[in-house]
Amino acid sequence: MIPKFLTSGPSRRTFLKTAGAAAASLGFPRMTLAAGEPIKIGFLAPLTGAVAAWGKPGLDGCAIWAERVNAAGGIQLADGAHPIEFVSYDNEYDPAKARTGATKLIREDGVKFIMMLGGDTWPGVQPVAERTGMLFSTLLPSDLSPETTTLVAPAEVHPIYNVTGVEWLAQNKPDLKTAVMCAQDDALGLPSVATYLAAFEAAGIEMLEEPLLFDPATTDFAPVVTRLMAKNPEIICLDTCYSDYVHPICEQLFQQGFSGQIISCTADFYDQMIEKTSQEFMEGFIFQFPDFDDPALNSDAINFQDPNGFYAEYNARHPGQWGAVSWEYASIMDMWKAAAEKAGSAEPDAVMTAMKDGRGGHAFGEADWWGKDLFGIDNALVGDWPVVAIENGKAVIKEFRSIPDWYNRHGDLLVKHMEAYGQMWNQRG
Amino acid sequence: MRNLLIFVLGSVALIALPYGLSFSQQEILVFLVINVLLVTSYRLMTLTGEWSLGHVVIMGVGAYASALYTKELGIYVPVSMILGAVTAALLAVLLSFPLFRMKGFYFLIGSFAAGEIIRLIWKRFREPFGGVRGISGIDPMPDFSIGIYQFDFFEPVSYYYFAGFIVIASLWVLWRIEKSPVGLTFHAVHWQDKLAQASGVNLRAYRTLAFAIASGFAGLAGALQAHYVGTVNPNSFDIEVMVFVLTWAIVGGTATFYGPILGCIVLTVLNEIVLREMGLEQARPLIYGAIMILSILFLPDGLESLVQKVTRRKSAPKPEEKAAT
Repeated sequence: MIPKFLTSGPSRRTFLKTAGAAAASLGFPRMTLAAGEPIKIGFLAPLTGAVAAWGKPGLDGCAIWAERVNAAGGIQLADGAHPIEFVSYDNEYDPAKARTGATKLIREDGVKFIMMLGGDTWPGVQPVAERTGMLFSTLLPSDLSPETTTLVAPAEVHPIYNVTGVEWLAQNKPDLKTAVMCAQDDALGLPSVATYLAAFEAAGIEMLEEPLLFDPATTDFAPVVTRLMAKNPEIICLDTCYSDYVHPICEQLFQQGFSGQIISCTADFYDQMIEKTSQEFMEGFIFQFPDFDDPALNSDAINFQDPNGFYAEYNARHPGQWGAVSWEYASIMDMWKAAAEKAGSAEPDAVMTAMKDGRGGHAFGEADWWGKDLFGIDNALVGDWPVVAIENGKAVIKEFRSIPDWYNRHGDLLVKHMEAYGQMWNQRG
Repeated sequence: MRNLLIFVLGSVALIALPYGLSFSQQEILVFLVINVLLVTSYRLMTLTGEWSLGHVVIMGVGAYASALYTKELGIYVPVSMILGAVTAALLAVLLSFPLFRMKGFYFLIGSFAAGEIIRLIWKRFREPFGGVRGISGIDPMPDFSIGIYQFDFFEPVSYYYFAGFIVIASLWVLWRIEKSPVGLTFHAVHWQDKLAQASGVNLRAYRTLAFAIASGFAGLAGALQAHYVGTVNPNSFDIEVMVFVLTWAIVGGTATFYGPILGCIVLTVLNEIVLREMGLEQARPLIYGAIMILSILFLPDGLESLVQKVTRRKSAPKPEEKAAT
């Protein structure tokens, strides 16, 4: 039975907003830890199905992260050291299952922090987050809103970092002046389209036609590519297409004889793309996610712990599986661990306070909590982001570029295109 | 007396059920109850011999409609749920004009196409459908108290009681329809269509009626889901979900009223609880698929045939009784 005082008051919504933390302590038993007891971290992402490529590699990365941290003595809190243990729940990228998973992780497993991919699944979890005060992270900052103060986006500011790739391209290949773009018509594709449009406009690159939005159920990309190439563009932008789309699109571009520049948010499993096309064809392909054996990641500015060793271990265990998210969830854990140790506690509210106290140690360097303009709340960690190009069949970091610098110069363009695509936080349904 | 006892015991078991489950199992129970209504309404549709691939989209119509009635018009949630169901039924009547020009396989494909058109409309029109992100922040069912029990509909137990009551009432209506002359005519439309037509039965009208009733209850299931989860989006009602509904119906069997319900319960418990608890989370699609193939191979008449075997054995006269007769 639910005590009456939990639901009485002016209205349920007001109650939830103003007393989420209080409700958490009353309605949801807070599990206290004994010294040495494992701290459980929830991993709530798609592990099966079409979007599993942005969940499963992250869980594999977290397993390596936990082994390394535990081998080094675990996490040091005020009451002593604790090992870390991950508890996963496959939400199949479904909001209802995500809600069930969040309930299980919080109320049964007693996790202290939950990492999510976000996107379609976040609205199902949002009421649980508001009710329990649990700290959540998402890879997609478009989930952020002022309504949920306990959701942070500390790893990637998708899709805003895509501006760095376009800016680098414009400065290093100034002859390229025309572009076309395609994307799947979904919650990942559309904000990315708006971002690339802003970036191309800021770089003075002309869009030859409106972005081509295809249905996520598309399997035959020949007509898509034919249409993309119809106006003879110098640049073809693949937006934030899933790897299931990037691969066949590149195959089609190769088969239909495209010889211009390709830019994309991701190029997961690019070695397979090279096998399907050719090394020459993929030469110069620009994207945003480096291999972690890149020497540029050994700089002192990088906060990710031993990136080269992590990459080697990951590839030894999961050969050919390295992708965009393989390191991201682990990098969030680096931040969470630092904040928990600073707070001396793993409790969500204490970690949140410590995490947002000053600048954040993002994987690619110190970064600022940002996002009020676009997301209504400064819960996204923004700093530098790498621009990556394929050279001789291998991903190479060309440069780290500042996202805030770009935004300070061209933020109005980004807001304009985000509004046009209904992607501002206050335009969501 | 025996029936009354079964009813009382069944009711007590259903009321006590959530207290024997973990929190996440209670959540699964809520969705299971909603899916029972979905698959049972689907069976009513199949009584006339037509199998649709658009039933889950119709469920989505109820979900979207109910969400929009509350969000845009401020209609009280229970009323908007009923209106959502009515909207789904009315849309089914509209769709019946083109769709019932087809039969069998062509109807199947036609219903898929109609469903995809509806999904594309949801995606394309950000106003009012929210585009690809759908609608979030849908009003929950307002909490209330009945004196001895405080209904807090964020809690799965409260919502289970609410949804369970609605679903049992709906199942009773669906059962009465099937057993009524209208239901018998549905069977005739399927198995003896020429004879029925010769007897003056308007085949198309009865097919439309079955489609509309089934869609209305599917829409109600969608509305129940929308106001619990708090969000709807086009991907939640895609063909993949429809395949699950078909699987429940096929594995359970559609010859009896309880067949699809049995299929839905067994497969949901297997997929969402047993395999997850066994630590086979990521292997679930593989194992689920294998079990489905095996059940179709070895239980071609569905799980309901097992129940029928058991009940037949129990009701069969003993040898000495046989000899006496």
